[in-house]
Amino acid sequence: MKHHHITYLIATFFTCSFLGAFGQRSEDLIPQEAVTVFSINNISLLSKVSMDELITYEFMEEIQQEIFDGSTQGKTLKDSGIDFDQKLNVFYGQTERYELAGFTFGIKDKKQLFSVFDDFEQKASKYPGTEFYSSFFNNLIIKGNSGLLIRIEPTGENIDEVADSIWYERGNESPWIESGSTDGMDGDFQEEIFEEAEEEAAEGIIEEIPNVDKQTSELEKNYYELRDSVQVVLQNQLLDKLIEDLIAKNISLTSQDERFRAQLAHTSDGIFYLDNSRSAQNLKGLWYFQTMFPSLYQDLRSLYSGNVLLGDLTLNEHSVGFNMISNYGEELGEIYQNMNSAKFDKHVLDYIHEDNTAFFTYNIDLRKAYEKAYEIIMPILEDEKNAQISANVLTIELLNEFINKDALFNTYKGSMFGTFNGIKKIKTTKIEFYYDEETFEYGEKEVEAEEDMPIFTVGFTTARGDIPEKVLNHLSRLTSRFHEEDGYWVYEDAILESAPLYMINAKGLFIFTNDEDLAMNHTNGYGSESLSKKERKRAKQSGFMYAKIDWAKAIDRFPSDFFNDRQNEIINAMRGKTGLMELTTSKTSKEKTSFDLVYNFAGQYDSAGKYLLDLLNSIYVIVK
Amino acid sequence: MYFLGFLLGLFALSSCIEISDDLTVHNDGSGSWKYKINLSSSKLKINSLLALDSLDGKKVPSLKEIDQEFQTIKRKLEAKSGISNVILETNYVDYIFKISCDFSSLQNLQAAVKELVEAENTDKNLPELGHNWISWDGEKLIRSIPELTLKKMNELNQEEINNLKQGIYTSITRFDKPVVKCDNNAAMISKNKLAVMLKTNPYSLIVNPNFLENTIYLSNPKN
Repeated sequence: MKHHHITYLIATFFTCSFLGAFGQRSEDLIPQEAVTVFSINNISLLSKVSMDELITYEFMEEIQQEIFDGSTQGKTLKDSGIDFDQKLNVFYGQTERYELAGFTFGIKDKKQLFSVFDDFEQKASKYPGTEFYSSFFNNLIIKGNSGLLIRIEPTGENIDEVADSIWYERGNESPWIESGSTDGMDGDFQEEIFEEAEEEAAEGIIEEIPNVDKQTSELEKNYYELRDSVQVVLQNQLLDKLIEDLIAKNISLTSQDERFRAQLAHTSDGIFYLDNSRSAQNLKGLWYFQTMFPSLYQDLRSLYSGNVLLGDLTLNEHSVGFNMISNYGEELGEIYQNMNSAKFDKHVLDYIHEDNTAFFTYNIDLRKAYEKAYEIIMPILEDEKNAQISANVLTIELLNEFINKDALFNTYKGSMFGTFNGIKKIKTTKIEFYYDEETFEYGEKEVEAEEDMPIFTVGFTTARGDIPEKVLNHLSRLTSRFHEEDGYWVYEDAILESAPLYMINAKGLFIFTNDEDLAMNHTNGYGSESLSKKERKRAKQSGFMYAKIDWAKAIDRFPSDFFNDRQNEIINAMRGKTGLMELTTSKTSKEKTSFDLVYNFAGQYDSAGKYLLDLLNSIYVIVK
Repeated sequence: MYFLGFLLGLFALSSCIEISDDLTVHNDGSGSWKYKINLSSSKLKINSLLALDSLDGKKVPSLKEIDQEFQTIKRKLEAKSGISNVILETNYVDYIFKISCDFSSLQNLQAAVKELVEAENTDKNLPELGHNWISWDGEKLIRSIPELTLKKMNELNQEEINNLKQGIYTSITRFDKPVVKCDNNAAMISKNKLAVMLKTNPYSLIVNPNFLENTIYLSNPKN
């Protein structure tokens, strides 16, 4: 008996281990079409925040509207049925044809889960072991102990293409005339359509003149109804295909992408993944080429092959760290390596005040980047056997010969810096009404005034300061609003038609600023009041980019009347807490560049998780 | 109403709005009315707001749309009975807006303004529009603030109220005959005795709605 009992226990243990090792995981439900993924490894930190408190955060408003409703009273995230031992993966993807977004998560208690997702209705499922639910445009798929919440939308262009194709194939005329819509259509345009049709009829191209007054059957949809139907069908088709890949074929991003799989294995608190070679932002710029020059399109796209960004998020008791590595393919890597090889321009540090709120430096060599890009891209263009491209290639080659590249790239070398110094009162003017004592007759007079304005400075490295000076001299002859003062230039009412913009041309830098004090009193830099040696060293040691934000100062420097009561309440939660955010980069190699973002914080707070949420909310409020 | 709502929001966000309400009443009851709004002390803030697509979930109108709305108001006022010589001045550099008109009687002016407010308001059934804000019998003029304006003021939040505290509201009434006395102690009579001025800030109107109520006598009141 005892032997059988032990055998039974061992078998149970191995069965559970087996199931635990090979059971459904939330990351296995991430579609392969996802281009960007943020995966949280350990959300127990956030389990200390009650759901009622979480949903009061402003940045949660939109999410709340989508997912939660009034049934969350008194509940915490722990009561949501989510399994905190599984990862929470948020993803997004976009192609020319559709866009998808959603997240996957582990499920501990389905009954609790549906007390939160209570507006989802169950649909039929053709896959054993998989359940389907939907609520308006959102779909919830549960397989085993993992869930996928997803929304997939065909793009407007995709819908239009299919709807138009069906519409015209049915013998209909332009939908704008048929539907009676006057958007962009007027009587003259309609007349033009008829004239064209008459001409075509005369030439025998069409058999009859289109009749826009033709009575259509009541059973036939109008254009908008057809378009809506097309949208629904496309949506369902896309979803069916995605589900078939995920559920029936077990094809997911995790199974298909080795780099993503490796990143998921990291033990950090969260990971980040972005495949730039599939990112629609890049594709949008090349969309024209795909249609007109497909082979060229493929070649240009191949430049981004291997361009994947992988990051790790680490939450510590007093800091949050985010490390990201941008990987490149060989050719793109060569371009970036050349671009990021610029020597650090130390003069920029003279213009950053020691008491600044935030600043960044950016050092690139545009000349080297241009020459390497020319070397790589021109052969691709030259291979294209097309008259239009050939003409463009010739133009580029001639410009490359004729343009004085020394003058061009010495004027704008590529390196720059920027600072933000909070909000200051700046001088403006206003009109005051006044009334004559004798008669109370009214008059107006212009008086000096002050208004709050964010103070910023942006500067560019230049080895040809004489060239911007030529431009400024020319502009000063055109308008009296543009004039030179002692060591700097002023463009009156340049900013929002109300505030002046100052320009400084000194020490190999061309600087724009709305800081009157910098322009009037520090045209050669802040001297002993500029950044400390320690901070200068940190900036210089970083690769091509460095940034630093003092959040405590940023929040303190925003006047409270900039925000309403509710917003001030949120921001006040952060006041009195120190917080320093720093971004550094490694030297760029042909294969990669590493970025490190660290936020160090201190002060009184309930937990690191709540601090992070307060910080995210403050950032959201300020940048909103 | 959306446009008026945006303007009201703009006023509230402006740190120092100045409003001037200038009414001239002749002996025969005709006269002229000038209404001026000065937002020049906040032009930087206004320019930055107008650069946005939306604010607090509401679309921010363009300058062209704002101007079109002002022109519409002007046309509507011109079409009112007893109203003539409507002049609209708009200054989109300093954000000063002025509208003026002549009227044949105060009743016509009051009716015109009520009709304009009613047209701009989504709620057509406003009991406040039944109230007479101004009356004149040849020797005595009685003025008060329409409660409609006060209701809108009361809908503003604390931040907006704080901003309105810094504003100025000036109400001037002019006559052909000398002014003998006013019931409102805060009112000032001009040195030439032909005009009365009341000055306050928009916030004070909320705290004390009767602040601008005033009876102006051009002769001694009968006992």
